[in-house]
Amino acid sequence: MNARPVSIVALIVRRLVQLPFIVLAVYTLTFILAWSVPGNPLENPEGRRPPAEIVEAMKKQYKLDDPVAFYFDYLEKASGIGYLRGTTDRVFDLGPSLKQPDWSVNEILATGLPVSITLGLSAMVMALMLGLFAGLVGGLRPGSIADLATQLVSVIGISLPSFVIGSALLMLFAVKFGLFPVGGWGGFAYIVLPALTLSLPFAAYISRLIRFGMIEEMGSDYIRTARAKGLTRARVALQHALKNAFLPVLSYLGPATAVALTGSFVVEKVFAVPGVGQHFVDGVLGKDITLVMGVVLVYSTLMVVFNLVVDVMYRFVDPRIA
Amino acid sequence: MRLLIPVIALVLALAAVVSLDRPLPPADFVLIDRSDVYTLDPQRMSYQHELRRARVIYEPLVNLRASDCEIIPGVAERWELSPDGLTYTFHLRADAKWSNGDPVTSEDFRYSWRRAILPDSAADYSGLFFSIKGAKAFFEARNAMIKEFAAKHAKNPSAAEAEALWKRTVELFDSTVGLHAPDARTLVVTLDAPLAYFLDLCAFPCFSPVHPATVEAFVSIDSATGRAIQRHDWTKPGRIVVNGAYVPTVWRYKRDMRLEQNPHYWNKDAIVAKTIECRTVENPNTGVLSFQSGAADWLTDLGPEYKTEMLAERRAYLARFKAELDAGLARGGRVDDIVATLPPPGDGERRDARGFNAFGTDFFSFNCRAALPGDRFNPFNDARVRRAFALAVDKQALIDRVTRLNERVASTLVPPGTIDGYPVVEGLGYDPERARAELKAAGWEDRDGDGIVENAAGVKFPTVDILYSTSSPRYQNLALAMRDMWKRELRVAAECRGKDSKLYKEDLKKGNFMIARGGWYGDYGDPTTWLDLQQSQNGNNDRGYSNPEFDQRLAAASGEVDPALRLRKLAEVERWLFTEEVPMLPICNYVTVYMYDPVRTGGMTDHPRLEQDLSILGPRRGDAPPAKEPAP
Repeated sequence: MNARPVSIVALIVRRLVQLPFIVLAVYTLTFILAWSVPGNPLENPEGRRPPAEIVEAMKKQYKLDDPVAFYFDYLEKASGIGYLRGTTDRVFDLGPSLKQPDWSVNEILATGLPVSITLGLSAMVMALMLGLFAGLVGGLRPGSIADLATQLVSVIGISLPSFVIGSALLMLFAVKFGLFPVGGWGGFAYIVLPALTLSLPFAAYISRLIRFGMIEEMGSDYIRTARAKGLTRARVALQHALKNAFLPVLSYLGPATAVALTGSFVVEKVFAVPGVGQHFVDGVLGKDITLVMGVVLVYSTLMVVFNLVVDVMYRFVDPRIA
Repeated sequence: MRLLIPVIALVLALAAVVSLDRPLPPADFVLIDRSDVYTLDPQRMSYQHELRRARVIYEPLVNLRASDCEIIPGVAERWELSPDGLTYTFHLRADAKWSNGDPVTSEDFRYSWRRAILPDSAADYSGLFFSIKGAKAFFEARNAMIKEFAAKHAKNPSAAEAEALWKRTVELFDSTVGLHAPDARTLVVTLDAPLAYFLDLCAFPCFSPVHPATVEAFVSIDSATGRAIQRHDWTKPGRIVVNGAYVPTVWRYKRDMRLEQNPHYWNKDAIVAKTIECRTVENPNTGVLSFQSGAADWLTDLGPEYKTEMLAERRAYLARFKAELDAGLARGGRVDDIVATLPPPGDGERRDARGFNAFGTDFFSFNCRAALPGDRFNPFNDARVRRAFALAVDKQALIDRVTRLNERVASTLVPPGTIDGYPVVEGLGYDPERARAELKAAGWEDRDGDGIVENAAGVKFPTVDILYSTSSPRYQNLALAMRDMWKRELRVAAECRGKDSKLYKEDLKKGNFMIARGGWYGDYGDPTTWLDLQQSQNGNNDRGYSNPEFDQRLAAASGEVDPALRLRKLAEVERWLFTEEVPMLPICNYVTVYMYDPVRTGGMTDHPRLEQDLSILGPRRGDAPPAKEPAP
């Protein structure tokens, strides 16, 4: 914690000034990595080959023959400078997808981002509900059967990879019981299983935070005082203890939400969810550099903004932090 | 209460994004593809699932009837061929309309074909147009023009010069390429030489028209390179104008595409499903589960994990009703129609998976170059060694134990029965005795008894480098099995080298392999779609096989005017190629496995070229399956 208190405005300003530098660093690193992937994104892996002159001309058109030119050209267009200088007609032009010539990266993000955000946020809501419930059950009666059961489930939730959990949920609830559609996207029913799969590791972690916090808080002096005043155990637990036990969850929520939004590609693959995570992985594998760079730029910006939002909220919820 | 704020914020944000996504009403026919189409620009397509969709979104001059691959009228209601076989005159129907109501004109075809030929468009299939008079010369001239322009203007771009160059290009096209539109409903095409399969080419989706005004709005002439740069924003629903049976009304990236009947399509009464939904499910497991849950009518590509087992279950089912099936087939019935009348499958049986022989051949390439990269010795430059390696492979064993899809063994490239009038050509079979003799004739035998063959100078046969892509376990398993066969039968050392598909492709191009996995699907109904692959100059000739005798033999056979004689001559070239030269080792013809229930879905063709027509797929209507009769 800083010795000198910082006002919220100063915090926001400072973070926003940092933002472009952080994003630039991420952009540069990703560019170096993406460029060093072998292969030519303009070539169909299994398809017919265009004549060599055409391949060369196409490489020139997309500046794939010159990494330095590509780096600066892309940065100019993506950052909005290109729009100001009139070299592109989109404000933030993330370029055309090299693999899917009909799509611009902007369009791909416009179709994929809402899906990934829906999935990520649903997963966080589920994780919160599950985690809170399990954490309370365990934290209020440590050592009970219910506590052991929820702890066991949370260990499973943390340790099993999501493609295993996802496939199991799919087999059970979609195929065997037919409660949910198997894969795809389009309405509430399609969200439940992938969001549940994505939420489990987060729920498990949240439940452990809550459980630990509750055990500690319930043994503290102010709780004893409240109980002595005659408040019911339930009221004390929910109104007083939980409030403090929840604080670590809140600080976890920020980075966790960011991870849920960006790290859902395995779940997206298993449930055929058309989110950005899947597109990003395909982009990396196919050396679709514009797509990779575009997604990384948007996600790193989102990440920084998200952390900022959480920090602001944190101060609001717990004014001691300043 | 403050604690609830972040939770409420989360829920509100969630509600907001969910409300943005509107579900679509159910479609008449739903299919699941393994990947989304790359483009809806017919001149740039090359993948099978794209071409399949293009066939119902655009309509070329003539169509290929799915059931028998006969050429039937499309936008052209009739056509004439001049007696010298060089000039086709197509007469366009008056009621051929674009989806915005505009008439389809012969100029639209000229524009679209010019687009396909222009090197600027980077069309994979520009080569298919080179039989048109002057097309190849135009392609090369334009290429040279751009090259010269780029050299001059890379540093000092000039929009005016680029425009002038473009004008000269258009004039060159108009004056030299044999493509003329005397009026809006007549298209005259002049060829360099008679081409037996030209109509078949005309039915290929790359020969479909695009709506010039819509496309042209996104073309710009680059002032630094002089190229006409195409943006593809016109392919998006809402903007796209098409002349086929369906209009794409929704296209969500790697999610789904919705096709709705084109109200202006002249032949709309022939369409079965009014709406088609094409979903993309990349995970093969999810695809199967999705089909089984009833969410789709057709899974176009069953995952490799399921194929063997499901086809075995189908065989069990058909075995139970063998008498009915045979009787139905003897009456000339189609398999699906007969199966649709049979009682439902029992335990361990199924009828909703079916394997089809595809218009594709699985093979391994021999590196025929004089030397390997780095000037290393290449034993496969010698045809005798290639023959030895081909003869030593027991393909039936590979199919029974490795690929396990009951594929048809192939010893040549062209799949049998796919091209009318083309005989079945046999190449080399399995003959380990002769294989060793061939190797010995090439100078390789085990002289010192160490289990590895040497040449007369005592130099060991170099370790055979077998390259494959790790994209599917199939190729690894094939490579391993063949390695063992070669070790056993020929006494050579061999190593398998699996590479990620991009690296595999790089090595293939550089010729950095001795034997490498390959495969090919035919594009049009003529043996040249296969045999051209071996031409010295062919861009897909990974083998580096370059033999003037073959090039000359192929050109001579292909140029034969009499169609029947021509096919016989081509067959003779293929026979010679696969018994003497053997630049590649064909393994089998591909089997494509679909999942669909023949009771529910009709219209699926089993013609060996396997071109499904989406406009006739869908619920079986009126045409009740033939009544069941007792077996005679």
